[in-house]
Amino acid sequence: MITAEGLTKRFGDKTAVQDVSFTVKPGSVTGFLGPNGAGKSTTMRMIVGLDRPTSGRATVAGREYRRLRAPLTEVGVLLDAKAVHTGRTARNHLRAMAATHGIPSTRVDEVIDLAGIGSVSRKRAGGFSLGMGQRLGIASALLGDPHTLILDEPVNGLDPEGVRWVRQFVRHAASEGRTVLLSSHLMSEMAQTADHVIVMGRGQVLADAPLEELVRAWTVNTVRVRTPRAADLAAAVGGPSVEIVSTAPDLLDIVGLPAARIGDLAADRGIPLHELTPTTGSLEEAYMALTGDSVEYRTKEIS
Amino acid sequence: MTVQAPPLTRPRADTVHRPSFLRSLHGEWIKLATLRSTWWSIAIAAALTIGIAMLIAQAVDQPGFDPIQAVVMPIQFTMLLAGILGAISVTGEYSTGMIRSTFAANPVRGSVLAAKAVVIALFLFVSSLLTFFAAALAVTAVVSTRDQSIDWSDPSASLLPIVVSSLAMAVFALIGVAFGFILRSGAGAIAATVGLLFVLPIVANFFMLAGESWAWVMDAAAYLPVAAAQSAILTDGAALETPVAYLTLAAWVAAGMLGAWAVLRTRDA
Repeated sequence: MITAEGLTKRFGDKTAVQDVSFTVKPGSVTGFLGPNGAGKSTTMRMIVGLDRPTSGRATVAGREYRRLRAPLTEVGVLLDAKAVHTGRTARNHLRAMAATHGIPSTRVDEVIDLAGIGSVSRKRAGGFSLGMGQRLGIASALLGDPHTLILDEPVNGLDPEGVRWVRQFVRHAASEGRTVLLSSHLMSEMAQTADHVIVMGRGQVLADAPLEELVRAWTVNTVRVRTPRAADLAAAVGGPSVEIVSTAPDLLDIVGLPAARIGDLAADRGIPLHELTPTTGSLEEAYMALTGDSVEYRTKEIS
Repeated sequence: MTVQAPPLTRPRADTVHRPSFLRSLHGEWIKLATLRSTWWSIAIAAALTIGIAMLIAQAVDQPGFDPIQAVVMPIQFTMLLAGILGAISVTGEYSTGMIRSTFAANPVRGSVLAAKAVVIALFLFVSSLLTFFAAALAVTAVVSTRDQSIDWSDPSASLLPIVVSSLAMAVFALIGVAFGFILRSGAGAIAATVGLLFVLPIVANFFMLAGESWAWVMDAAAYLPVAAAQSAILTDGAALETPVAYLTLAAWVAAGMLGAWAVLRTRDA
């Protein structure tokens, strides 16, 4: 369980994070979304005690990070892949981290295997590719077999295999009852990984809701209809709350009516339908609607 | 590289794996010992100490010259290596981002500072002790050709200068550590360390030529770290009383550590 209560961070006269409150529950993967500069990383840094909040507080398992008895076994942190001395080998980096908690070197070898960096573990981290650095960061986060994972852009720079591995890994961790907070800019990946989504923009929480609710609330459901009698159908379904866009002579995109109703109306009038496809919006569309340039930043209650 | 299925966790007794100061020391020691720059610095310091000590022993052949002076004199050069090693042990973490991993593992910043300071100080003390003893052997070999020797039966002319010199090296390293935490940038911390250890004494020396009204500058300069160390190492004709010299060195360490702690505890990492 991660809790933020009224977190605020000002750098000089710039407010990076303003009165942010949320709870990240165990047993599910919570996605943390927002444009660059929205305050996600600053919020994560405050959670793990690297930045001191101007006001408010953040706790993990009910305690501020700095008061945790054994931080590495409570929280696995990946804030950026470059939190590693470039002159030290991956294995020695992990050994030094493990030593602070008395974690045995067998566990160091375990996380090296888990993260798939066995072949480079005795090479200095300065020469690592972005993906390898990311894997080393993930290995460090796993050292203490933590109850909570806080991962900022964990799939950044990973190959498709690595991306899939991270997804399976965090899903598995959540299924074991662990708390996972994960940020990413890859919407399709997030849509597959997260159960719950927190969206930040301009330092504030814009939305905090289960993924499906968020998508439903912030996207329009369109029904795509293909029919040789498009004009007749358009006349039949037309109404004040219905929006119809025709992109081809036999094609209508209808917003404002459920697919079943359109089908019934067509059947009543004997209009043949060649296609009737309801499309639900994607997380990406919901995200763009919440944060996009075309739309002013706004918040909306999602119940 | 293979993707592994995720069965990665097993029940673990959390109580076993938790931090302690001893474990922080262990972590800091691994960090120090696994960087090549550490061993390069120590190797260069050792080579300089032994080489310069032998040169001095060879060159200075006058009555009243105690060979132990040749052993400890090279500290004038190696002090900078100690200070720089201390500084980069901290700034290297900031420049690479390692400091965030360090604070993630140990969020109690004062404890990180203490662990790093203890490890660096002990490492410099022990490595300097070994180096000075090696230099003593080398000097003995040089001066034995003219029937001189280090008088080991008199600690104040043998063991004590070596131990105190080693302590001084630890003090210089801690000054570097303090500047490292306060300034965070490698260039800045090294400049500040070199400035305090090396440049300020030279600047103060210019005032020797100035009149009586500037004598206080020379008096004050006796309290600079290197000057105080010299008073502590070779007590004959020292500018400071021996206890005052020790206190001065301790005060520099205390001031540095307090300054570092003051900025560490409030500043974002």
